Amino acid sequence: MTRIVPNPTARFALALAALAATPLACAQMQSAYSENVLKIGIARYDPHSRTDGVHGIGVPAGADADVGNATTLLLTYERMVTPNIGLEFAFGIPPTIKAKATGSVAFLGDDVLSAKNIAPTAFVNWHLFSPGDAFRPYIGAGLNYTRFTSVKSKLASEAKLGDSYGLALQLGANYAVNRDWGLFASVARLDVKSKLVATGSTVLTTTIDFRPLVYSVGGYWQF
Amino acid sequence: MRAFRSWGAVALSLVYLAACGGGDPAEPGTGSPAGAPTTKGTFTAVVSFGDSLSDVGSYSPATSLAGNGQPPYFGGKFTTNDTSNGTPTATPLGKVWVENVAASLGLVVTPAQVGFGTTSVACPAAAVPALAASCTAYGQGGSRVTDPNGIGRASGALTVPVVTQIANHLARFTTFKASDLVFVYAGSNDVFTQFGAFTTAAAQIQASAAAGTITADQANQQLFAAQTASQAAMKIAAQQEVDLVKSQILAKGGKYVAVMALSDIGDTPFGNSLPANVKPVLSQLSQTFNLWLRDGLTNQPVQIIDTYAIFKDGYANPARFGIVNNTVPACDAAKINAITRGAVTDGSSLFCNATPGAPYNGLRTGADVNTWQFADSVHPTSGGHRIISSTFLAQLQAFGWI
Repeated sequence: MTRIVPNPTARFALALAALAATPLACAQMQSAYSENVLKIGIARYDPHSRTDGVHGIGVPAGADADVGNATTLLLTYERMVTPNIGLEFAFGIPPTIKAKATGSVAFLGDDVLSAKNIAPTAFVNWHLFSPGDAFRPYIGAGLNYTRFTSVKSKLASEAKLGDSYGLALQLGANYAVNRDWGLFASVARLDVKSKLVATGSTVLTTTIDFRPLVYSVGGYWQF
Repeated sequence: MRAFRSWGAVALSLVYLAACGGGDPAEPGTGSPAGAPTTKGTFTAVVSFGDSLSDVGSYSPATSLAGNGQPPYFGGKFTTNDTSNGTPTATPLGKVWVENVAASLGLVVTPAQVGFGTTSVACPAAAVPALAASCTAYGQGGSRVTDPNGIGRASGALTVPVVTQIANHLARFTTFKASDLVFVYAGSNDVFTQFGAFTTAAAQIQASAAAGTITADQANQQLFAAQTASQAAMKIAAQQEVDLVKSQILAKGGKYVAVMALSDIGDTPFGNSLPANVKPVLSQLSQTFNLWLRDGLTNQPVQIIDTYAIFKDGYANPARFGIVNNTVPACDAAKINAITRGAVTDGSSLFCNATPGAPYNGLRTGADVNTWQFADSVHPTSGGHRIISSTFLAQLQAFGWI
């Protein structure tokens, strides 16, 4: 296979143009490294939530809620625009997250809130070392969008969680098993903040800062 | 896991919401009415629907001096009644806010119905032809929003609910007029009813917990459920009142319509008699009613008079309103008990006469109807009513209506 090493600057511009139009536009081009990386893995969504307190009529002082962990299937696609820089788009099968009552209302028990969160995240990753190396750590920064669906509360006939946009940071490493296949592990920190409005006989509100760490492990295929 | 309660931020956001008037569409009860008149009205009648706070003498016959339902009466309103205009008359002089507001507009307002027990008369003022149209004070002690079983009905109070009060007005006048100044001030007796249901349930739950038949967590869960049920009932009452305002007042020609939110009944001698952990339940029932009232009236062409904020301010700053005592009822339960020969034991101001020197005077020794806020455990003195009417008049002025 003939590999052409293009001018990095020109390639970057080309890649951006390709992303803007269609990634297939440059599918014919062969490069010194794999341009496309598909990952599949297990992600552990581990929130370190805190709230501004639960507000509403009759809510006792010290009422609070804590969001539990969730595990889901993670899928990502990364487009390498240079040997060291990739644009990664991560999404997962929306996991169901649950919150339990804590503080002065702990007696209300578990699962006072459940929701599915759809959290696509885009990263710009910087990969250390060179395309041929087996072990390549990377760091990334980007944006997370989180949308909550199927929001339910046993305390309210109707519950809504607002959409969230926030910064995303990640730290990870790829380990190449062979030229096409490998393993990866990463940890990501997302800024996810959402206002809950639960409407029943009264209205409960709280702003939840989920502060999740997402631990992921899995395999990748690059081409 | 830490709880961060930031009341400062909440207060700021409330100020912001109040300033912009829009509220959060996703959060019920944060909006405001819109579209009420902003110009001065030419009023020919004060049309008032409500309960004891707006009752201008419906139950006077219960206070018949002769005990036969006939005048003269020594009481009749839920305040410090005053019969000092010569001999006691059928319309005692201690005024409630509805009368004060009407008087300041140069209008007369009389009870839509007067009676007690099985006998009642509609619009007794019509005996004087010039007053035939004045019987538009529908408020009756004990009345609820839609439930005819009001407080005191078992012992003779009429407690015609607001739904029927409005229906009676429409039966008589067909429509509301642009020259009607309409007040709807109801729900407090729904608060008392639901509070009673809660305390009954709570007593049982606490007895079970004390006996060890349920755990502390189970007791808390059941108390929470009982409180939620009482709040749900207040939500329904508020939504029913909203429906009445929309379909029976606004849709029937009402233009100048003021709807009162409920005050915190915790800020009364009755409220203060409650254990510290029970009193908030009472306050929250008013809050729940107000939440759904505000939610239902969002973008409706009415004005809300927020008695919760107004009365709380007055209760916290009595001196500013010339009040020196807001904890002790001005009426003396023992005197009223004696005057009614043991028939009234709870010191109800309905039977409280404040005429100086009258043998049936029921005022507590040293009490002053002008500087003491409460006549009985929940109702204002005539001085308290004067403060209420002046704050309401200030609101009407702020609306641009007067």
